Amino acid sequence: MPDKKTDLIQGTLDLLILKTIAPEAIHGYGIAQRILLTSKEILQVQQGSLYPALHRLERKGLLKSEWQESGSGPMAKYYSLTAAGRKSLQEEKAQWQRYAGAVALVLES
Amino acid sequence: MRLPWNGMEAALKREIAHHLEALTAEHERRGHSREEAVRMANREFGGSEQVKEMCRDERRWAWMPGIWQDVVFAIRQIRRSPGFAVTAVVTLALGIAANVIVFGVLQALILRPLDVPHPERVMTLSPSSRAYPVFAYPEVRDVRDNNTVFSAVAADTIGNFGLEADGVTRPVWGYAVSGQYFEVVAIKPFLGRLLQRADDDHPGASDAVVLSWTAWNSLFGGDRNIVGKTVRIDKHPCTIVGVTQEGFHGIEEFLQPSIFVPLANQTFADTANWSEQRHDKNLFSVVRLKDGVTVPQAEAELNLIAARVRKQYPSEEEGLSFTLVRPGLVGGYLGGPARAFLAGVMGLAGIVLLAACVNLGSLFAARTADCTREIAIRLAIGSSRWRVVRQVLVEAFLISILGGICACGLAWIALTGLASWNFPSDYPIKFAVLPDPSLILIALLISVLAGLLFGVMPLGQIFKTDPNDAIKSGGIQTSAGRRWALRDILLAGQIALCCVTITAALVSLRGLGKTMTMDLGIQPRNVVVTKFDLSQAGYSAQTGEQFQRRLLERVSQLASVEAAGYANTPPFGDVSTTAVFTQQTIEFKPSNKALTAFLFDVSPGYFRAAGTPLIEGRDIRFSDTATTPAVAVVNREFVRHLFHSEHAVGRQFKNHLGQAIEIVGMVADGRYLSVSEDQHGAAFYPILQHPTPTTALVVRARGSADEMAAEIRGVVRDLDRSVPIRDSSTWNHQLAMNFFPSRVATVALGMFGAFGLLLSIAGTFGLASYTVSKRMRELSIRVALGAEAKEIVAASLGRMLVLLGSGAVVGMVLGAAASQLLSAIVYQASALDPVVLGAVALTMVITGALSVAGPVRRALRVDPAMLLREQ
Repeated sequence: MPDKKTDLIQGTLDLLILKTIAPEAIHGYGIAQRILLTSKEILQVQQGSLYPALHRLERKGLLKSEWQESGSGPMAKYYSLTAAGRKSLQEEKAQWQRYAGAVALVLES
Repeated sequence: MRLPWNGMEAALKREIAHHLEALTAEHERRGHSREEAVRMANREFGGSEQVKEMCRDERRWAWMPGIWQDVVFAIRQIRRSPGFAVTAVVTLALGIAANVIVFGVLQALILRPLDVPHPERVMTLSPSSRAYPVFAYPEVRDVRDNNTVFSAVAADTIGNFGLEADGVTRPVWGYAVSGQYFEVVAIKPFLGRLLQRADDDHPGASDAVVLSWTAWNSLFGGDRNIVGKTVRIDKHPCTIVGVTQEGFHGIEEFLQPSIFVPLANQTFADTANWSEQRHDKNLFSVVRLKDGVTVPQAEAELNLIAARVRKQYPSEEEGLSFTLVRPGLVGGYLGGPARAFLAGVMGLAGIVLLAACVNLGSLFAARTADCTREIAIRLAIGSSRWRVVRQVLVEAFLISILGGICACGLAWIALTGLASWNFPSDYPIKFAVLPDPSLILIALLISVLAGLLFGVMPLGQIFKTDPNDAIKSGGIQTSAGRRWALRDILLAGQIALCCVTITAALVSLRGLGKTMTMDLGIQPRNVVVTKFDLSQAGYSAQTGEQFQRRLLERVSQLASVEAAGYANTPPFGDVSTTAVFTQQTIEFKPSNKALTAFLFDVSPGYFRAAGTPLIEGRDIRFSDTATTPAVAVVNREFVRHLFHSEHAVGRQFKNHLGQAIEIVGMVADGRYLSVSEDQHGAAFYPILQHPTPTTALVVRARGSADEMAAEIRGVVRDLDRSVPIRDSSTWNHQLAMNFFPSRVATVALGMFGAFGLLLSIAGTFGLASYTVSKRMRELSIRVALGAEAKEIVAASLGRMLVLLGSGAVVGMVLGAAASQLLSAIVYQASALDPVVLGAVALTMVITGALSVAGPVRRALRVDPAMLLREQ
């Protein structure tokens, strides 16, 4: 995979995950479904690739996890944002908006 | 096994299983069958193993459990192929042990400083960096009294003394030292005091003697009240004034003296004679540099002193010069060759280790190549390349560490053996090469380096592996057999390295063979040599002469004696040299001398007893005495050199005092000081014209000489019980010392050679069978298309043979170059000897043939139908 695309996707994926988790604790499957749903099925995330990102964010201290009973029965790992995670979400979101805005400016000029 | 990361692993598994389960359930809800739902879920999720691996990589300590798994896996791999593991460990253990042992000796011999304060300031004076470092007493005194760079300057000489305590006389070795000796070494006494300047102030200034710690313990049972006790040394009463500190044994490596006496005590040394004459140089000199003075500064001042002395005594001191050399191995005289040889052996040991590493490296590479498919599968199911590399490295390290541990054990055994071994010499020599704990560190370091070295080799292969390709082609790389791979070059390099060790081994073996059969000018078989110094029993030169004559008469009457005679020293003993001048010479300074000849004082019958043939003229007679004209028997080389003719009886030469001496006989040439010396002239004076109390009785037995030594000891004791016999044993036994360096060299090099041979067989065999198995399919197609045996061999192993040949040629050239170094140790060692070259070539051919034979058979037995069906 060429580097640029990886960076973009990875960065974006982190942001999407943080945003999706923000409202309430949620497990990996839930995150994948919600991203699919809210993006109107445009953003096709390879579901497996969520997990390395989740583990990375957890290691960075942006997420914390807890084993809980899921709605459907068996135990699942629920992720929620830490304080650092919330702060990071604000920053990443602002940065993304600046970026997207700038790209839009160039395209519409 | 319950380990912290096992929990993490389980959690990861459950998390992903949960996701897949949920996804499957979702698809089922949409109306797909169970199997279909599972398949769809898996597709949507992506490779779950790959995801797991990526998650593991995200964890901070991910590599820790990974390493543990690798170690466990490596142990399993080793257990699966124990043959390979044992070979690898043994190969490495030998290679590492060779290095550790050589390093241990190097450390004991060269790297370890003297056990005295500021050892770096203690130096030996020497005429030049390689010369035997002896001076005349006035020369040392000149340096002592006229320098500003040394805090102390001392002269010393080692000698054998008859130490009589509690009624028993023992021959002991000791140093006679000048007054500043203990200022030079700057050690503290363990008991009492050490010798001081006042003890050496004037001839006969003191009767003090200092014991070494070892002698105090072994001879006097560690008696704490020893100071003040009187003992007799060479029949003269002396007072023990002190004991040196533990571990001090003078400044020569390996020598273990028992006593230290003042040089000025003329009862031991002929001091009156020594203190003023500048001809006989027989004192060592040690100095201590002042604080802050560098060696070049000191040498500059020494040059000025030497220039002044040369001017003052133009005839005696014509060639005087001083340099400073490191003490320990008779200055640079033994130190130079010993260091050169050890460096050479160290180099060979390094080569052997390198060859072993290369060998293991190519074995690993071959094994990795065989595992291409396995590696490809691992990569395909989500293992990272780094992970595979780590796996191989861990296995390499495990093997090298095991090798290192075995090597430590081997080195320990070898060095302990060496340290407790008795040197074949009557000198008080002891090898203090006890293994040092720091050697373990060295061994470990070497093994880690080795592991890195051969572990790295298969890496390129792993990085190149493309899972798709490898799986499709069934592990056979399409390029195999076409390009020159790294392992081909490694093999050639390894063959070259092994060839160097084999050449060195054969050269020294051949040299030793020549040395053993060399004409020494004597026939040491069935001869017993008995050495003693009558001055230790209170005899003078004159009274000693009567004792010697009586002894000779008594011994000659023994039934088992064929011939007997005596000399001041036998060849290869304490031999001295003298300057010889032509009869026409008027001024007797060193530059006018015609030759330097070895000098012996011998009795009538000596030549017959020693087995030296008299070529013309007559033997020494008892009628050649101080009152008759001075005569001498000389060897053939002496005559050739002095007169350029083959006959000399009746002609004359002059000694350094200008005295004319008539030649009355000529004997065959021989070796006189060392077996590796060039042919020198030798002069034999009648011992009655030069009486001396040092005696070497040479007795030729009619049959075997085994019982003779005891019989002669009995006769000596019968004549005078107080004569301490230094040595009485067969001549061959005493000569063993002279063959010792070449024996050691040959054993050491022989071991390296055998090891090199083993390695090259293993390496060649490994690569040959690997090549054949890699190209089985190609070979079977060739056979199917009608290729003949010759073509099959050429196709499969042609390149191997080219590699073998070129490696061997390069190795032989390198070996020939390296053998130049050997000539310093092993007499007549020449790599250009056609016998040696032939033997090396033959060895390589046989080695090559042996190691390639198996694979060739396999290549020739290829059954095309079978193979083509299989693949």
